[in-house]
Amino acid sequence: MNMSKIFWDRLLTLDDLDREIRKVAKTHEEREEIWHLIDEIVHHKAMGCILDKLPRDHHEEFLTMFHNSPHDEDLLFGYLEDKIGQNVEEILKQELGSLAFELLGEVKSSKK
Amino acid sequence: MSKDPAGTDLLINRERVDTEFLRNKLKLKSLEVKKTFNQKYPHVEKFFAKRGIDLGKIREHSAKIITTGALTGTLLFAPPIGAKSLPPISEIIKNIGDLKNPSNVPQQQILLDAISQILPKRIGPLDRGQEKTLEQTFQNIIGVKTKANLEGEHLNTTYGYIGAEQHLMRYPGDTMATHPKLPEKDEGMAPGRGAWGYFTSSRSQMSETDVKREKWYAVVQTLYLPDWNTRQPYLRDWYKYRKVLVVNTVNGNAVIADIADSGPAAWTGKHFGGSPEVMNYLGGPRYKKGPVIIFFVDDPNNQVPLGPVDYNSEYVKNFLGPAFNS
Repeated sequence: MNMSKIFWDRLLTLDDLDREIRKVAKTHEEREEIWHLIDEIVHHKAMGCILDKLPRDHHEEFLTMFHNSPHDEDLLFGYLEDKIGQNVEEILKQELGSLAFELLGEVKSSKK
Repeated sequence: MSKDPAGTDLLINRERVDTEFLRNKLKLKSLEVKKTFNQKYPHVEKFFAKRGIDLGKIREHSAKIITTGALTGTLLFAPPIGAKSLPPISEIIKNIGDLKNPSNVPQQQILLDAISQILPKRIGPLDRGQEKTLEQTFQNIIGVKTKANLEGEHLNTTYGYIGAEQHLMRYPGDTMATHPKLPEKDEGMAPGRGAWGYFTSSRSQMSETDVKREKWYAVVQTLYLPDWNTRQPYLRDWYKYRKVLVVNTVNGNAVIADIADSGPAAWTGKHFGGSPEVMNYLGGPRYKKGPVIIFFVDDPNNQVPLGPVDYNSEYVKNFLGPAFNS
């Protein structure tokens, strides 16, 4: 098993964004660089959204779990549901949806 | 040599500016997002810095963690949550062999029944036991020798979602005007080249192999392999046109494809890509995304042809003999 995965990946389906990037990027190197930049933005936004909701006392514990198993959906979503008491997946989905919309605007405007 | 039409240089420069403009914009946005994050959560920045990790590159860390876990056995021997208790390989093979009259059961259905006993409920990575059982199942039913791990190489995942890709340029100047296309819902041609460049240098140099390589190509996430950057150029050469078996786990349609591009991006919710022809064969003209298994084809003598796996072909029927008679 050899999987590069983050536990919030399942919530991301930014197909429209990808379609636009493919129209702009002329080489696969450019495309991959843009993919990585978006990945960086997504990770910071997702983690920020989680930490906004998670009480400060639990940050250390959550970060340790995330550091040890960044791929483990059941463990990490389970922990967050328990400590936050809200549907974290839904909150994250909305946050990442807004980000996708914003990024799509950025990509489209660069084509003008 | 023909001269470019007037204005082309300007067009190329304009495209270059567009790409650089976008890249710079995204770089700036990335820096801003990081800065805001670090100002708001200095303890988190400190937490990751202490461990030598950049949150923006957490995917690399994840890949290392999972690879280490698999090597030390902590993940390897712990079935993923949602995994079923796997019947022994011999039992699945025996079940296939127990079908005394295979002509009454479509071979594709036999494959679907077999893999449904093996796959976990949730689409995601398979453990080595599941992969080994699938390797034997494919060999016994389809007649193709496959490996999830071939010569020490393993894909990011072998069970995931495939998405529709566009045609690739086979040579400089290739366009949809001369490129074969699907009669319905064709995806058109990608504006850039595939990860390995053009398939050939010119139209006149194009061979039947080049045509088939583009027609039946697959895309895998080589860019997320944990050792992709450190094991070049070996990995690039190893993956270039590497044959894979792609099996639609919903209907059993299967294709032998070759790897001709890298992707898709992790944030598309997809793990693999297929050429228009691959996708059309796997699920029809409207098929844009679906779960598949992808294994390397173990074909050192280059004998397995690219293209659809025909369950009714003489080759497959002949191969089924030993499985059904065992």
